[in-house]
Amino acid sequence: MANQINLQGNQACALGAIAAGCTFYAGYPITPSSEVAEAMSRELPKVGGTFIQMEDEIASMGAVVGASMGGLKAMTATSGPGFSLKQENLGYACGAEIPCVIINVMRGGPSTGMPTRPAQGDIMQARWGTHGDHPIIVLTPASVAECYTETIRAFELTERLRVPVIVLIDEVIGHLVETVDLDALQPEKLVERTFATGSKDGFEPYAVTDDMIPPFPRPGDGFRSHTTGLTHLPSGFPTQNPAKAEAALVRTTDKLDLHADLIASNELVQTKDADLLIVALGISARAAQQAVTDLRADGIKAGLFRPKTLWPFPESDLKACVNGAKAILVPEMNQGQMILEIERLMARDLPVIGLNKIDGEAITPAEIVAKVNEVLS
Amino acid sequence: MENFEIRFSGSGGQGLILSAKFLSAALVAEGYNVAQSQSYEPVSRGGQSRSDLVVSRGQAAFPLSRGLDFLLILHDAAARSSDAVIGKDTLVLVDAELVLNPPKGDFKLLSLPFTETARKLGNKRVANIIALSALVAHSGVCKMETLEQIVRTKTPPKFARLNMEAFEAGRALVLENAE
Repeated sequence: MANQINLQGNQACALGAIAAGCTFYAGYPITPSSEVAEAMSRELPKVGGTFIQMEDEIASMGAVVGASMGGLKAMTATSGPGFSLKQENLGYACGAEIPCVIINVMRGGPSTGMPTRPAQGDIMQARWGTHGDHPIIVLTPASVAECYTETIRAFELTERLRVPVIVLIDEVIGHLVETVDLDALQPEKLVERTFATGSKDGFEPYAVTDDMIPPFPRPGDGFRSHTTGLTHLPSGFPTQNPAKAEAALVRTTDKLDLHADLIASNELVQTKDADLLIVALGISARAAQQAVTDLRADGIKAGLFRPKTLWPFPESDLKACVNGAKAILVPEMNQGQMILEIERLMARDLPVIGLNKIDGEAITPAEIVAKVNEVLS
Repeated sequence: MENFEIRFSGSGGQGLILSAKFLSAALVAEGYNVAQSQSYEPVSRGGQSRSDLVVSRGQAAFPLSRGLDFLLILHDAAARSSDAVIGKDTLVLVDAELVLNPPKGDFKLLSLPFTETARKLGNKRVANIIALSALVAHSGVCKMETLEQIVRTKTPPKFARLNMEAFEAGRALVLENAE
């Protein structure tokens, strides 16, 4: 028999990080993400890594960025209030292209909100929480197994592309315990950061390469480099020259377009002949999956599009699977965030309807079934 | 049984989540897939607390409870909070002493002295193990030996004897009740 164990979503994120080669964690525990810190504090010493409980979330994000600049794979975890505090240093990592992984376990907000209750209210904050136009990748696991595999993928993407990656889960998925077989989830070969090699003369830390990903100068390897939050030239030094500043900023966002295929990941459930398409993530997607089964049993052709990569939003993948759908339903545990993106993409073509809940309880399959029946009647 | 749902509910600090973890481990040992969720309040003790097991062969699409097959209520704080997920086939076990307003309706309800039995064993905190044992003895969701093995191996040595006494007491409660 396979090696079946009961594992919690938050713990799976921690074990996934270790499997991905993470050797540095700095954080400030906060419900409902604390088990990530707890597990990292136990697991990191076993692999010679470093765990630091910092004085707050601002400092922990700073420590993570610093560790990554030193060449380590680094991670932190938090929830709503802490995620807000991390935004400034996260912005630095976006601007200076420092790899890092942030697990954000969503709880009811705003502010202290409902610490032990689930929500999906950070969908837009994950995209636009730090100021300015910036590149960022957001992954949304919907099961314990995916907490493990998507955290590994988060490290692969951040290390490969030099873009911070957020793993966005809701409290239900973070605290859910499911039966998993970790042996079956191991990565074949990890994708790693490209470190600078070759000639040190005239080295440019932000050189424009074909893949738009500058090789990373590892401290101690002898490459002169300068890192700053100011908009910078390929040399790493600041510029306010309009053409050069724009080119530098556009490269970091174009980089994501160039590697879109590497980043995009979705799950499609019976979308081919769907009259009604549901777009959902996290625990809401698990409810939607059950609702699709229940609706089909009643002869209603429903389907589910689940973005595993939420940002950049999988525009073309969604458009490609709409087919003959007459409407799109977006159940989410907020007052309507992901729906804005779907309306932007689809509203000219077909109705986009929301199902929203902010009472601290998960959306149920029955609620989705009822809404679909209402929409189709 | 192929698919079933179990809820442990009561007041924070009664060991409901621990009971759910023990049963979850026993069910996995018998080849089931289990999704265990919990709900509690931001206090260290008290408030409503519950843990649900959604048990299936293969991964459940929706991992939260929709219709309970078995419901345990150990405290009045949670007495009526599961009414929406109780059906006519639900078996409800309640603590005879601490649940003052048990759910009412067309389903089987058993009121057993879990807390009183625990007090007689010398520690009312083992009411959770007595109730867990009674639940499994009554429902047969897994073998008693499988659960006993889990409780034995996962209990710290200091409390091993007390927990095993509690385990036996739970089984005995069901046998007495059947007579």
